[in-house]
Formats: sequence, structure tokens, C-alpha cells
Amino acid sequence: MIRYVTRRLIQMVFLFLVFLTVTWFLLYILPGDSVALKYAGNPNIPPEAREVALERLGLDKPVLIQFRDYMFNFFQGDLGVSFNQYPRPVIDIIGERLPRTLVLFLTALVTYYWAGFVAGKYLAWRRGNRGEMAVTIGGVGLYSMFLPFFAFMLIWFFSVRLGWLPISKFLDPEQWRDAPFAANQVFMRLFWVTLITAIAMFAASFAGHRTHSRVLARILRWGGGVLVIAGFLFYWFGTESGQGMRVYAGDIAFHMILPVLTLTLIAFAQVMLLTRSSMLETLREDYILTARAKGLPEGIIRDRHAARTALLPVVTSLVLAVATVIDGGVVTEAVFSWPGMGEILISSVLSEDIPVAVGAFAFIGILALIGHFVVDVLYGFLDPRIRVTEHG
Amino acid sequence: MTIRKLPLEVSTGRAPLLEVDGLVMRYDTEAGEVSAVENVTFSLGRGEAMGLVGESGCGKTSVALSLLRLAPDNARYQGGSVRWEGVDLLDLSDQKMREFRWAEISMVFQGAMNAWNPVYRVGEQIREAMDQHFDPPLSSGNMDQRVERLFELVGLDPAVQIRYPHELSGGMRQRAVIAMALSCEPKLIIADEPTTALDVIVQAQILKELKEIQEDLGLSILYISHDMAVIAQVTDTLGVMYAGKLVEFGSTRDVFDRPRHPYSYLLLSSIPSVTGPRRRPVALEGTPPNLLAPPSGCRFHPRCPWATEQCRKDEPPMMQIGPSQWAACWHYEQVPEMGQQLP
Repeated sequence: MIRYVTRRLIQMVFLFLVFLTVTWFLLYILPGDSVALKYAGNPNIPPEAREVALERLGLDKPVLIQFRDYMFNFFQGDLGVSFNQYPRPVIDIIGERLPRTLVLFLTALVTYYWAGFVAGKYLAWRRGNRGEMAVTIGGVGLYSMFLPFFAFMLIWFFSVRLGWLPISKFLDPEQWRDAPFAANQVFMRLFWVTLITAIAMFAASFAGHRTHSRVLARILRWGGGVLVIAGFLFYWFGTESGQGMRVYAGDIAFHMILPVLTLTLIAFAQVMLLTRSSMLETLREDYILTARAKGLPEGIIRDRHAARTALLPVVTSLVLAVATVIDGGVVTEAVFSWPGMGEILISSVLSEDIPVAVGAFAFIGILALIGHFVVDVLYGFLDPRIRVTEHG
Repeated sequence: MTIRKLPLEVSTGRAPLLEVDGLVMRYDTEAGEVSAVENVTFSLGRGEAMGLVGESGCGKTSVALSLLRLAPDNARYQGGSVRWEGVDLLDLSDQKMREFRWAEISMVFQGAMNAWNPVYRVGEQIREAMDQHFDPPLSSGNMDQRVERLFELVGLDPAVQIRYPHELSGGMRQRAVIAMALSCEPKLIIADEPTTALDVIVQAQILKELKEIQEDLGLSILYISHDMAVIAQVTDTLGVMYAGKLVEFGSTRDVFDRPRHPYSYLLLSSIPSVTGPRRRPVALEGTPPNLLAPPSGCRFHPRCPWATEQCRKDEPPMMQIGPSQWAACWHYEQVPEMGQQLP
């Protein structure tokens, strides 16, 4: 396993270099004079001023030298400065935007994968009855929905008609006027607390899944879940750092409801349908018959045998979901005016703010690679057949 | 020592282990009702090995699955009974039936590869069955010991239990399946094509071992196969099925020596004999009937070279021919002589 992981890591670094090179050159050859157009904001600046500007940005050097400098600087954490917000460093902009996107999309990803898998599992198990048909058809409907349209419908319904949820943005400026924190501090805190909670939940349910004692399994699953949630609440209500930040974190969470709901409803259907068909296939396997013949209770056959094996293709689709998170992210962030990575990606490309665009692409590439890596490791963990071939 | 769950309160002790009486089972399909098991009657005693033979789709697996009530959801039991030590299994509640499975009747499935869930270790899958059927539950140390003993019994290295199914060869997998089938000390094992996927040498070894285990432990085994050679070696009694019906039943020796149903006769004649007199194997013409609309009268009449008007109209009942032989044919008396006249 260690060898496999190291090999994958080396591959990832190599792949990233290729990706960064291609991205850099692609954006470099974009037509248009970004300096004249954007930096000075005036296409008719005098040639001398233009020279100065070019020199200051390093754009007077030959392409390959620029490329070399970029690569060297990149791995030292210097991604250049933004043309539009000169002289703000790109890394600074990304550092501000990335947590917002991560919190939003990781929440959505975990929610819809979990919900989709559980729903698909029960659909397959109860196939043939009328409720199952209705949910499946509804799922196909959601799956084929056009995301921006759906998002606008939800905004119209929940924010305009009912007035329950905010229309857009990620916080309410009124509330944050005298805030002792920067929004990003809160985002980072939200990110870590949620991540730790999710991992702890997963670990508890996994341990419950592995143990043979039925009583212990139940204790782990329910007790573990309750304990983790209690810990989560204790952090926000019981500890000093949590209490101070609670109001602001709550405001952000409130603004997240609608985008997460939109993403979840659309992507959830896809996971649900995939799980359903994968599980229907698994249910026809001989080992399900063996499990029945062994006199195992239905719940164990469903969860331990059928769903466990049906999970494999669903995990594979997680790789694709990482990509959807990114491109769906661009649209979703635009619709909800969520100032995250997707939003700067669009604005920087449109305004030819090349350093920001390359930086944003680079980080999206890193996210995608990490996503792939996590899924690969997870897959090796879930499917013993893969584990062995990778050794050989 | 632990006590196994005995799901059945009534245990007369005198009745044969298993009595299947007039069992009728049909599948509901979109095209109509498929008559898969039609009026099948046989019994199986303690420590006895019985064979069930017939072409693919003749209903032998449906009979086997019915014994554990494992037939697919669209199966309908429309008559008859399956009595286990006097108790009708078709009347048991689902919960009781679940406790009954594996504790009393276990199964060695056809194609051992697919009988294992690929994502769990072999030992884990055996323990899982033992988890269900011991009361009070076995301690994990006890369970380890048992698994080890089972593996030794079937001739496997106990270290195999920490392997995943795909890491084992076909023969090892089949042996492990047998170990799993023995894990809860059942009284009957149903072996559905236990050796079909294996090469001949491994096949012979496994059959021999299974036979020894059966005799040592006093088990009953129901072999289901289309391989006559296998059946002849290991069974005491034999049932021949055709198109959902049991057409001949009796001691294996009687049925092999003097088959009284034309189908059994032709089935046996289609096997070339290695040691006996040289003769041309006889081909069984035609294809099995469509069970959506089975033929009238005797279901075998469209393919039977000796069919008469009576065979087309009336269904022959199971008739006792000898002390331990029954056949469902109007002309059973003439079957051996008629056979001589075949080309």
C-alpha cells in the first residue's frame, strides 16, 4: 500500500507539472494586450509608459524565460501579482477565495453522496413498488434538470416568494460591520470543524461496520454519531473560541443553505440512480443468494453484502464528481454571487488577468488531483482485488 | 460446548429427515405462469445421499431452492408440502425460516467463485454464518477454533481464512465453500453442481472428500447435477426430473441398472460406456418443452419414441415398480425391451 501511494504521489506531481505548463502556455497565447487594455485602463497610453509597465510586470522578457521564472516562483509560493488589482499577489487572492469554495462544495459533496447512496440503496432494495417508481422517475427528472434554471427557481421560491433564505452572497454585511474576525478566518474554522466532524462520523460508522458483535456495532454507530454531534455542538456553544465565532459562522451557514440545496438536489439524483442500478446488479449475484441461504437478516444482506459491493462504482463516480464540483462550481457561484474560485476564474479570464487565471487553474488542478488521489486510495481500500494487483 | 438454535419445537424423531410431498411451484412471469416444479414427491432419510438429475431448466434447482424457500420473489407455492422432521417449512414464519437456514440445511452452490462476496475475507464470511446460528453466541476464540477445524476437515490450510476469495484457486474455493456449509452443523447439505467448474482431478478429490465427510458426520446430502458419472459415484437414491416433474425415483443402483422411464433410459444410453460392451450412444432427440405451456398428458411424450395415444391424453402417476423404485410411465414394463429395438 505504501509503495502504491508513493507511486501515485510521484505520478501526481508529474501530471501537475504537465498541466501547469499547458495551462500557462494556453493562457499566454490568448489574443489581446492585457497591459494596454487592463493595467492602464487606457488603450492610448504613451509608448514609454507602456514600456515601463511591461518591464515592471516582466512581460518584456522572452516567453521561455517568463515561463521558467513562473515555474521557479510557483514552487516557492509566488504566483505573481494580479494585473487588475495590482500589486496584490495572486496567492493572496486565491487564499481568500479557496476556503469559501471548499466549504461550500465539500459540504454539498458529502451531503449528496451520502443522501444519494442511501436513497439508491433503498430504491434497489424495494424495487418494483409504486413509491420506488415515483422516486426513480423524480430522480431522472432532477438529473436532467438544467442547473442554472433550477437554481433560479429555488432562489425565486425560497428567497423571493417565501423570503426564508438570502438571495445571494455569503454573508450579511450589516451583521459583520463590527466583526472581530475576517470572513476568511471564520471560513477556515468552519472548514476544519466540519471536516473533523465528518471524519469522526465516518470513522464511527466504519468501525461499527467492521465489528462482528451486533451490540457493539449498534453502540458504535449510534453512540459514535451522537458523540460526534455533541462534540460539534460543544465546540460552537461550549468553548470560548467557538462561542465568539458562532454568530458569524451561523450567518455563513445560513447563506450556504440554498447553494448546497441546489447542488445536492441535482447531483444527488445522479448518485441515487447510479447506486440503484449498481445495487440491482449486485442483488443478482450468487453471493447474495449465499447470504440469504446462510440465514443472515435482511438488513445485513442489504448493507453488508449488497450495498458494500454496490458502493464500488459509486466511489469511482466520485472522481467525476470532483470535476463536476469545479465546473458546476463556476455556474453555481455565478448564480449565487458566491465569491469563490469559480467566480474569479470567470472574471480573470474575461478580463485577461492572466496571473490570477493561471493561479486559479493551478489550484483547481490541485483539487482535482487530490480528489483523484483520495478516490484511488479509497478504492484500493474498498476493493481487495485492486489492492493485490497493484502490488504485483 | 454451545447449543445450536433449534428453530423447530416439534421434532418427532421418527419421520424421515425430509419429505417433499406433491410440491407445486410456479413462477409468475410477464409471459405467463411457468410451471417449474409440478407435483414432486420424494423423501430423504438421515445420513442418506440423494441425487437429482435432469437437463438444464428441468426444475432441479427450483426444487433445491424450495427446500430453503430461497426461490426468487416471483415464485408461487401452489400446493404440496416440504416437511422437515415432520414440520412443514412452507408454513414457517420468515423469521423462523431465517433461523432454520444453514442451521439445518446448508447449501454448496454451483460455481463457487460467485458464492463468495469478493470484498470480504473467506474466514469472515464463514464467521458471519456462525454469528447467526449459535445461541449463546460463540466467543471469537471459539469461533477461530471452529473455523480452523473446518478447514482441516476439508483439507485446507487454516491460514486460507485470511485470504480473499479471488486469491484462491477454484478447488480451494470449493473446499472453503464446503467448510462454510458445514460451519453450523447442518443435517442436510444441498450440493448444487458442486464440481461443475472444476477440472476432473480436483472434481474427483472433492467428491471423495465430500463423501467421507458425509459418512463421518452422518450427514444427508442432496446432489444436484446433470453429470451422471458424479451422481453414480456418490448417491444412494436418485431422482430423475423432466420438465418440472419427477419422472423416476429409486435407489441409484436400480435406476442405473434398470431404468423404467424412457427419459431416464435415453439419458443413460446417451453416455458412452467405457468398461461395458461397445455400443453407439443414443441421442435424445428434440428440446425440452416450453414450461409456459407444458405438453398435455405425459410431459415427455413429444420426445418419446414409444409414445402412444394414452401418453398424449393422460398424465401417468408415479407407480411403484420394485421395492425401491418408482416411475411415471404408462409403459414402464416394456421400457427395457423397447430400448433394445432402438438403432
